[in-house]
Amino acid sequence: MSGNHDPITLEIIQSSLQAAADEMFAALRHTAMSAIIYEVLDCGTGITDRNGELAGSGAGIPAFVGVLDKTVKKVLAKHDRPGDIEPGDIFMTNDPYNGGVTHLNDVILVMPVFSDTDIVAWTANIAHWNDVGGMVPGSMSTEAREIFQEGMILAGIKLFSRGHLLRSVFDILTANCRMPDFLTGDMWAGVASVRVGERRILEIVNKYGKDVFLHAVEKYMEYGEQVSRAALKNVPPGRYFLEEEQDQGPPWKVTVDVSDDEFIVDLRDNPDQDKGPFNMSKDEAIVSCQMAFKCVTSPERVANGGTFRPLKVLTRHGSIFDPKFPAAMGIYYEMTIRLEDLVTRCISQRLPDRLPAGSFASVCGTLFGGIHADTGRTYAVIEPELGGWGGTPHADGTPGQFSALHGETYNCPAEVAEARYGVSVDYLSFHDEDGGAGLHRGGKGVRIDYRMRSDNAWLTVAYTRSRVLPWPLKGGCLGSPNHVQIVRRDGSVEDHSVVSGLTVNKGEVIRIITGTGAGWGDPMQRDLALVQDDVKNGYLTREQANRYYRLEERLRKSGAG
Amino acid sequence: MSMRVATDIGGTFTDLVYVTPDGSVGTGKSDTTPGEYEKGVMDVIAACGIDPRDFDSFVHGTTIVINAITERKGARAALITTEGFRDVLEIGRGNRPDFFNLEYRKPRPFVPRYLRREIPGRISYKGVETKPLDLAALPAILDDFRREGVEAIAICLVNSYSNPSHEEAVVARIRDVWPEVSVVASHQITREWREYERSNTAVLSAYVQPIAHRYLDRLTGRLGEAGMRCTPYIMQSNCGVDTVKNARQIPITMIESGPASGVWGAAALGRLIGEQNAVAIDIGGTTAKCGLITGGQVKLNTNYFVERSEHSAGYPVMVPVVDLVEIGAGGGSIAWVDEFKRLHVGPQSAGAVPGPAAYGAGGTDATTTDANIELGCINPHYFCGGKIEADVPALEGALATLARTLGTDRRAAARGIIRIANNNMVNAIKLISVNRGLDPRDFTLIAFGGGGGLHACALASDLGIRKVVVPSLSGVFSAWGMLLSDLRRDFLLTRIVELGGAQAAADLSEGFVSLEKEALRQFSAESIDRSRVRFLRYGRFRYQNQEHSVEVDLPPGEIAEGRVEEIREHFRSAYEREYTYRLAAPVELVCFHLVAIAEVEKLRPQKRPAAGGPVSAAVKGAREVDFAEAGIHRATIYNGDLLGTGMAFSGPAIVEEAGTTVVVPPGIACRIDEYGNYRLGIEGGAR
Repeated sequence: MSGNHDPITLEIIQSSLQAAADEMFAALRHTAMSAIIYEVLDCGTGITDRNGELAGSGAGIPAFVGVLDKTVKKVLAKHDRPGDIEPGDIFMTNDPYNGGVTHLNDVILVMPVFSDTDIVAWTANIAHWNDVGGMVPGSMSTEAREIFQEGMILAGIKLFSRGHLLRSVFDILTANCRMPDFLTGDMWAGVASVRVGERRILEIVNKYGKDVFLHAVEKYMEYGEQVSRAALKNVPPGRYFLEEEQDQGPPWKVTVDVSDDEFIVDLRDNPDQDKGPFNMSKDEAIVSCQMAFKCVTSPERVANGGTFRPLKVLTRHGSIFDPKFPAAMGIYYEMTIRLEDLVTRCISQRLPDRLPAGSFASVCGTLFGGIHADTGRTYAVIEPELGGWGGTPHADGTPGQFSALHGETYNCPAEVAEARYGVSVDYLSFHDEDGGAGLHRGGKGVRIDYRMRSDNAWLTVAYTRSRVLPWPLKGGCLGSPNHVQIVRRDGSVEDHSVVSGLTVNKGEVIRIITGTGAGWGDPMQRDLALVQDDVKNGYLTREQANRYYRLEERLRKSGAG
Repeated sequence: MSMRVATDIGGTFTDLVYVTPDGSVGTGKSDTTPGEYEKGVMDVIAACGIDPRDFDSFVHGTTIVINAITERKGARAALITTEGFRDVLEIGRGNRPDFFNLEYRKPRPFVPRYLRREIPGRISYKGVETKPLDLAALPAILDDFRREGVEAIAICLVNSYSNPSHEEAVVARIRDVWPEVSVVASHQITREWREYERSNTAVLSAYVQPIAHRYLDRLTGRLGEAGMRCTPYIMQSNCGVDTVKNARQIPITMIESGPASGVWGAAALGRLIGEQNAVAIDIGGTTAKCGLITGGQVKLNTNYFVERSEHSAGYPVMVPVVDLVEIGAGGGSIAWVDEFKRLHVGPQSAGAVPGPAAYGAGGTDATTTDANIELGCINPHYFCGGKIEADVPALEGALATLARTLGTDRRAAARGIIRIANNNMVNAIKLISVNRGLDPRDFTLIAFGGGGGLHACALASDLGIRKVVVPSLSGVFSAWGMLLSDLRRDFLLTRIVELGGAQAAADLSEGFVSLEKEALRQFSAESIDRSRVRFLRYGRFRYQNQEHSVEVDLPPGEIAEGRVEEIREHFRSAYEREYTYRLAAPVELVCFHLVAIAEVEKLRPQKRPAAGGPVSAAVKGAREVDFAEAGIHRATIYNGDLLGTGMAFSGPAIVEEAGTTVVVPPGIACRIDEYGNYRLGIEGGAR
């Protein structure tokens, strides 16, 4: 067929790659055993080029977009002898120090796609497995002091050889897991997903030819790079710096050097690694910066290896962003949202007319469990929480939404939660806490009341942005904190943001309160009609309207003038 | 003379199909008349020269509900909900499809916060009252609503799916004190759980209720004045029809009636011609919609969304809607080039005004239709059934502008448009097939709508589909599908029944029996005899604690204890088919789904005798056609109106008939079957 470099053909191949990554995602979600994969969608899929550069990624959550390419590169580096990688092989990684990026619970499968004797691409997916061994059920513990306590470490090992499952490897996996049935189901889901991707890519290669395919992938990266470079022109060159106080521990610092073709994030001047699991791998620090880079430059969906070419991330070995082996990393996700928020904030200080104010910016990971009041079975809730986002240059912030790490993540309806967990959901609406006033106000945070219907429930949370509040822009007001209140039977109220294994009894309430986003712009500039609307709608109490917007005073003046 | 009539209001045209007792079929098209849709219906009846006094049956499908929603032209609506849940409607589910966008904005709720009011009272998930309903505040709330000009009230209380008594009490009190206001409670629409989805469904139903009432009253009034004596039926999104009375009560169920009747028509046609597994694609002016037919049946979902896209979470509507995917790829879809010189087609459409550049009505954007003319697929001298002469200079100008931006020539730009539009449709078909574990190669493509015949063979070849059907009457196919629908209502009830429990059999029986009683009560109130009613039972089952459920069909009658194991096994194998593995875990029913069908007199399509004469008699001429991926060839042009049953020919060819154009690429065989359908086979695949 004529026109090897016909741009339409290249475009069709590129959109087919995207469709293949989406199809891999559907397959993974469809066949997964674990709720955290198929409901919370704590999973992702991707396709890389033959060298491990990201070529396309499926739907899901943005926090996983830049992970899989790093895995493929590590697998390629490790298996570097002829015959190490063969058609039908599938490799497996969860080691954050060796291409696994996140934490041991996230298991990545990668598969080479061969056309004749050459690798033309890789297909890959990542999914949170319920249990990978370690010191506690579920493998994540705030008490962990080294990674060995967080589960078995799989560092780019071969799981399938020439299409056949390596039985011995599989037996090691199942023997070291508390929930081998779930492991088996989730593993086969991952296998189905990489294989679907392989099939689709081969269809494309067979239809258009290997050279055209490879050329299309290369051009796609160039396109990703073009989009980023064009967007980078909108970020004024120069040095950006921010030092930010944290809820606990010493402050964090970031320097971003922006030039016409580079965006260099320097994280070297930061605290030494944590003794517990509050660390992130260097690769994860890069992923976090990639997310921030993408969000502040070009939020369109295209995201591939080319997109991130202008970005460089510098870390110091032995710090929280690049810890020395064998530091624990179970709670990396709260570090990720903090770092993403830090970089975004650093840039937005100088570009307040283009970017929104700070949001509640916490995963608000909430774990509680106990005995179901009606069935007598044990239940456990593992969920992120919804909170308010910051006011933007164009509009009020969005209320009640998951953090920037999440994308297609859904909350659990009260009606489903009541049946599944045997607790009573007494409240699921916005709260009235102060915060977020501005020309464009922050989106409201959410309050959820879970009333226990049986004794001896336990609660574990690790929220940030509880003391240091969401940051405003252009004279807006701070947002409000993320916290949990326990309403005891005697009516007393305790307040928490980080707590482990707290006992909550029948009739007592776990009240989750997430932050309202910060305000953008001076509240005094907000149109009085909008303030009155906010009062009418109860987004503001009358008292808040007077305190933050001087509603009555301004009304009197405008009446007089 | 008596006849059966169906009318379908679309975005651009109002279509009519009628069938007389001897089986002869007539069709008509008039302009849709927004704001006064019944006028378009009366116009098309007049244009066909038929008399409402002769109508034996009359089925009507309308876009009035979806239009009122997307154009934000519904009533001023309010919501009454449970204390503590006022903001559920605004929070939604918290998802963000546009996941790098820090300025993502949620869909704005259809009821502002000050019109969302709470009342105390709680029912548990088990249906037990745990806090009595307190209506003391209701009169003051209603006073506020009156003052604010509220026209319709939705009610959605937490756990009403398991026991609707509190919702019923609120409805009753409102009817007492404010009889004029329009009211709907969530349990009247569905008894599935998930408070956000049910609230939004009730709110949208309330939002369209006054408009739908007025429209249906005007329509039946006009038809009555014109002498129609039969009871009209209204097409629903579940592929059935319903009475006007019921449609007035819960108008939201009309939301996708047009697409539903199209997919239903394809399923019915497939059963008729022995193609039980099919992909249906309806390519219209603005969008392409595709749905899947397996075993002659369409699949329904209750997770339909309005305005959902990669940039928006959309608005959920929890009513049974035919499972389909809709994309912005139709005849009017506009081609454009982004800042990186990449060509895109749609989702913006030139609509009916100004329409494609070829309409000569001032459109300067090149569209799919313009590209099809440039390539020779559409005859500029037989455009829109010969009603207008295509404005060739206008379309050439539009394409030339696009080509300059791309740095190519007009022909290449046109070819690019068609290939990208086709690729978009191929990806949509993959969404409803491969993404659900099915291989499109096992299916037949049934393509209809104005653009169905133009694109069908190219789509099939890309998907590996070997058989294509372009139905006779494909231009008014949705209306035709309505003539084949029965009266159908779906009843859904979320209630968990553990199959391991001692009570399982009794609980299963009781659940279905109570729904069947409710169905019969409704039918008898509408004087529909129970002898005409039949039931289909489905259960949505899952492994304990999982979220995904699988719907399986269940036997009628009393469910004996011995049958439970059989049901469990039935579920396990269905689950394995869909999810590839089985578990030893306990199984539970999550939702009862009862389908109540009352037979109505339907069309029975008649076979046509073989046409005499040679196929050459239908040849109009020949011209050069660029088949895009299949190359440039001199194609034989056939007059479709002269083709008859049994005639056959091979591509390269183009068939032109008043309602549609069929493109037959080289190597494709085409045959007219005994119902007048075009049957196309890829690589000799046609029988």
